[in-house]
Amino acid sequence: MKSVKIPLPFHFGPAAQPLFGCYHEPDLARRRQCAVIICQPIGHEYINCHRALRQLAVRLAEVGFPVLRFDYYGCGDSSGNAEAGTIPRWLEDISEAIFQVKQRSKLDTVCIAGLRLGGALAAMLGAERGDIESMLLWDPVVDGKSYLEDLQLLQKEQMRSRPKPGRRERAQEHLEILGFPFTHALYSQVQEIKLRAITRRPAKNMFMIQSRTSDQGRGAELFNLTESNWEYQALPIPQIWLPTTNGSLLVPGQALQSIVSWTCRMHS
Amino acid sequence: MREQPLLFGEMKSLIGILADSPRTHPGPPRPAVILLNPGIVHRVGPGRIYVKIARILAETGFTVLRFDFSGIGDSAVRQDSLPFEKSAVSEAQEAMDFLQRAHNIDRFILMGGCSGAVISLEAALNDPRVIGAVLINFPFTQDQDENAPDLALRRAAHYYRNFALVNPRSWQKLCTGKANYRFLLRVMCSEVKRRVSFGPGASPESPLLHSLRCLADRGVRVTLVCSEGDPSLEELHDTVGKYLRQLSHCGSIAVSIVRRSDHTFTSLYDQEQLLELILERVQTMAQPVENLSNSREPLCTENIVLQEGLTRQSSL
Repeated sequence: MKSVKIPLPFHFGPAAQPLFGCYHEPDLARRRQCAVIICQPIGHEYINCHRALRQLAVRLAEVGFPVLRFDYYGCGDSSGNAEAGTIPRWLEDISEAIFQVKQRSKLDTVCIAGLRLGGALAAMLGAERGDIESMLLWDPVVDGKSYLEDLQLLQKEQMRSRPKPGRRERAQEHLEILGFPFTHALYSQVQEIKLRAITRRPAKNMFMIQSRTSDQGRGAELFNLTESNWEYQALPIPQIWLPTTNGSLLVPGQALQSIVSWTCRMHS
Repeated sequence: MREQPLLFGEMKSLIGILADSPRTHPGPPRPAVILLNPGIVHRVGPGRIYVKIARILAETGFTVLRFDFSGIGDSAVRQDSLPFEKSAVSEAQEAMDFLQRAHNIDRFILMGGCSGAVISLEAALNDPRVIGAVLINFPFTQDQDENAPDLALRRAAHYYRNFALVNPRSWQKLCTGKANYRFLLRVMCSEVKRRVSFGPGASPESPLLHSLRCLADRGVRVTLVCSEGDPSLEELHDTVGKYLRQLSHCGSIAVSIVRRSDHTFTSLYDQEQLLELILERVQTMAQPVENLSNSREPLCTENIVLQEGLTRQSSL
């Protein structure tokens, strides 16, 4: 019977506003000298991708990486209301998570894996810090404006066969996307996201996976100016962050395998 | 309000978040509330609604545990071959055991959406420590399962029949070529097919009615929360509606309808309505059992408590 490794749930960060994390201990027999942090998307994308990212963490731990998954402030199990989330705060949260994983794993080398907005945040922070060894971006948000447009289109599409909001409901002060608020502050901050504007390298080694046909090819030009060793892979996999018609949560084995293989190659 | 992540269960493999209040609240000890996964969505719930429910209840003095069943969210997959329907009930009981041991609480209110409602009902039947259950969008028919392939079509059919049909804008779209005719046709075909194959509905001896009767006999207070925009409301009418009226324990079974909401309470306004409703129901359920026993009337037929104000009175 295969032994079951249970991730350790814990709180970290400021005592008054703790963040939730799940630490996956690596397989000790295969322990590698790099810890991995997983930066999740936000809102409904976070809910839809949770299963896949949990699976990714398990697979990385099985091949010897200590892994920390965590929720940003105001997201998931972390403290705070969703309305309190901001980009600067979430960048601080990733830094806090880096500190945590280094402490827990007793390793100095960190790899960040980011999906959607998590990918964009990872790249922004990596470029600012300059000390990240490797980074893999899975369908990162490349342009904040298009991301917001896509979200609003999705909201419209999803609400088509649902009761329309009444007058009181329309009076909500925030934009909302599938059950999650988007405050004006967050909206403007996300609008400003442009990965092409990043000129410093986010990490020494970069890997990008893109599943969206419309974005494919963009990855190649994305980090041209950042002097990283980078690899790019277009995969015919579903966009797992989108709601499915039957409510199922997708786990694309091909993407997880690519990520695990690349991370192993970078940190053999 | 404070929260604490924890591992519990026989194998310490179930991950949960415990929320409670550091202050001591006056009055008799309160029951704890346990939130059970809505389908395969992890303990945060769609739109983070489970987090909001747990926090609002904890702020008012309840101890609340939301956790992942094995194989869902962060909890480990079970190593035995117990089917989900059984393992989930057993794990809900492990959650009660944990709270009883660690927090000295011996009365529980179970709550869950969709399949979480089904497990809440089963666990309530199996465990005398359960004094209340809030069943949110309970799937009254088997194919209400989230993974049923035609669920989207059924939800759309429900929407067309109950909302679009009386909305001038929808008619305008239909008449000006702006509607999705292919989808509309698919919905209509699927609905005809479903209606033709649909049985006569529940008998007075249906398992669901039997379960509700058992719980009512035990004094367990059950609230069925239905979204007005969810097909489960129609199925409630079609399957058990007429018999539900005849449940004979006044005040123990309630049906509450959240207006204009959908299956997962997608809009923030719907979420607020749901939170207010749940807070009120849980506070009522937490009242000592004696109050209920003293007020229990002899067998009667019109005994379904319908929530008003926030919610629309049901036409059951």
